[in-house]
Amino acid sequence: MPSFDVMPEVQLYQPVELADALKLADQLGEHGWLLGGGQDTYGWLKDRAKQPRAMIDLNGIEALHGIRDSDDGLEIGAASTLRDIIGNDRINREFGLLAQAAGRVASPQIRNVGTLGGNLSQDTRCWYYRRGLDCYRAGGNICYADGPEAMNREHCLFGASRCVAVSPSDTATALVALDASMIVQSVDGQRKIAAEDFFVGPDTHITQMTALDAGEILTAVRIPSRWAGKHFYFEKVADRNVWDFALVSIAAAISMDGDLIGDSRIVCGGVACEPHRLKQVERRARGKALSVETADELAPLASQGANPINYNHFKMPLMENLVRRALRG
Amino acid sequence: MRYGDKPVQIATYKHDVWGREVLRGVSWDLLWLIIVAAFIAIALHAIYEALRKRGDRPSSEGERLNRHDAIDRAFHWVMAASVFTLLVTGIFPIIGLEFAWLDIHWIAGIALTLVVVLHIIRSVFFQDLSSMSLGPGDLKEVLSDKQKPGKYSPAQKGMHAAVTILTLLVIASGLVMFSMIDTPWWDRSNALPETTLGLVFFVHGLSTLCLIGLLCLHIYFGLRPEKLFYTRSMIKGWISRDELLANHDPERWTPDKTPN
Repeated sequence: MPSFDVMPEVQLYQPVELADALKLADQLGEHGWLLGGGQDTYGWLKDRAKQPRAMIDLNGIEALHGIRDSDDGLEIGAASTLRDIIGNDRINREFGLLAQAAGRVASPQIRNVGTLGGNLSQDTRCWYYRRGLDCYRAGGNICYADGPEAMNREHCLFGASRCVAVSPSDTATALVALDASMIVQSVDGQRKIAAEDFFVGPDTHITQMTALDAGEILTAVRIPSRWAGKHFYFEKVADRNVWDFALVSIAAAISMDGDLIGDSRIVCGGVACEPHRLKQVERRARGKALSVETADELAPLASQGANPINYNHFKMPLMENLVRRALRG
Repeated sequence: MRYGDKPVQIATYKHDVWGREVLRGVSWDLLWLIIVAAFIAIALHAIYEALRKRGDRPSSEGERLNRHDAIDRAFHWVMAASVFTLLVTGIFPIIGLEFAWLDIHWIAGIALTLVVVLHIIRSVFFQDLSSMSLGPGDLKEVLSDKQKPGKYSPAQKGMHAAVTILTLLVIASGLVMFSMIDTPWWDRSNALPETTLGLVFFVHGLSTLCLIGLLCLHIYFGLRPEKLFYTRSMIKGWISRDELLANHDPERWTPDKTPN
């Protein structure tokens, strides 16, 4: 594979109105590249692994910034930086799960410029794919990460379908746990997509990580007030404490009914191409206390149905232990 | 020939892990080309038939004669259902209708393979294989207006031969591709060299595209008014004596009677 010292020539558009950005996105279609903080952009371009004709810089669009009230909860503009989220009082008070997750993304420097929209929409970190190999995800006919000699320590346990890559987003797990919705706009109008449906698996969309189609822009994230101030737990296990992606992470939102667990949404990151909800654990946790006994009883359910590949078996006990820590109270 | 702003390609290429250009598979631009070509052929034939003078259509009344046994009809429709499923699950995601297709695709592929194997066993050991074999005699039938066919016309034999070759190619390449995905029985090996894998994808794709063209023609002929009795015989099993005499040579094919 060739390597390159310089960036390729790419046109840059810097619209200040959302309507103009939508028009550009529509015109450019698959040849356009939406630019947030740029942290998952320049590597792709420099390696020529992605070759868009033009970038649409969304940072100058006021409507995409800010954290505000919505009809039922909170709305966060997709171009808000992760630092904005970490430092926001209301998010810390009511939706601390998201603040914790955002606070574990990459490094302080990256969080200063990285946006929520970018963190949610970033591409997978499978190194075979990111090296520019023509794998299934790149439109090819093979997965280099799942073979006898493949290095796949970071790859998935669940939901593999030809591709075994995982979602790298820390905020994604928190937003699925908070039952958030994604507001997606295009020149044809607006779509509201549940966070759980926003992230897509290889069985349906092998070349995409999200339900965003060409010409669409993720403009905002809405979090319903239903989960405000509930019991939260977030933990991310990575090889390094900063500037690394999750090997496995857990985001749990738990509504307590007195001393007992009522509704809960427990989501694992780093184990599937989408944030992976532990529905069986959620069902079985209802009516139980947050305790060591509950944690020990339910933790083994977390990895049921896992289909590990060569080097990622360690993720199964890791998942179970994270569930144990989330439920022990 | 061009498609949009680029020339139509037969194959697509990719870089292998060493950076060498290798075959990736068939170019799906050909799909539209084949569909358009099939519909032009259908339109031309329909015009030709509309201008051609035909006598009265033979009656479906009277004595009923067996054309297809129940087991053969069942084979045909199971094969049709599995091919239809394979085409929907294989082609729809390519044209933008995305859904979780892979498991349905390989299950339908196994169904097709089993049915084809059973059909081959039955036709080789329990049926008259020569009635479907193309030979020099078929050329005479094509060139002569007077000579009528036995059980199958040269066109039917030709269609069957083409579908047989393409289906066997699709199944053979599909089985190789099947070995390259995870299934309940094995984990994929990724053992094939990328050049071979590209060739397998190419054969699978190209034979699928050719089958689509042939199936368009097959369905068209199955629905033409003068051929509709063949379709009925593939559903109910029988043709009338009038239909036999109008379309076949009873000395070359003597079907059994069926109860009315």
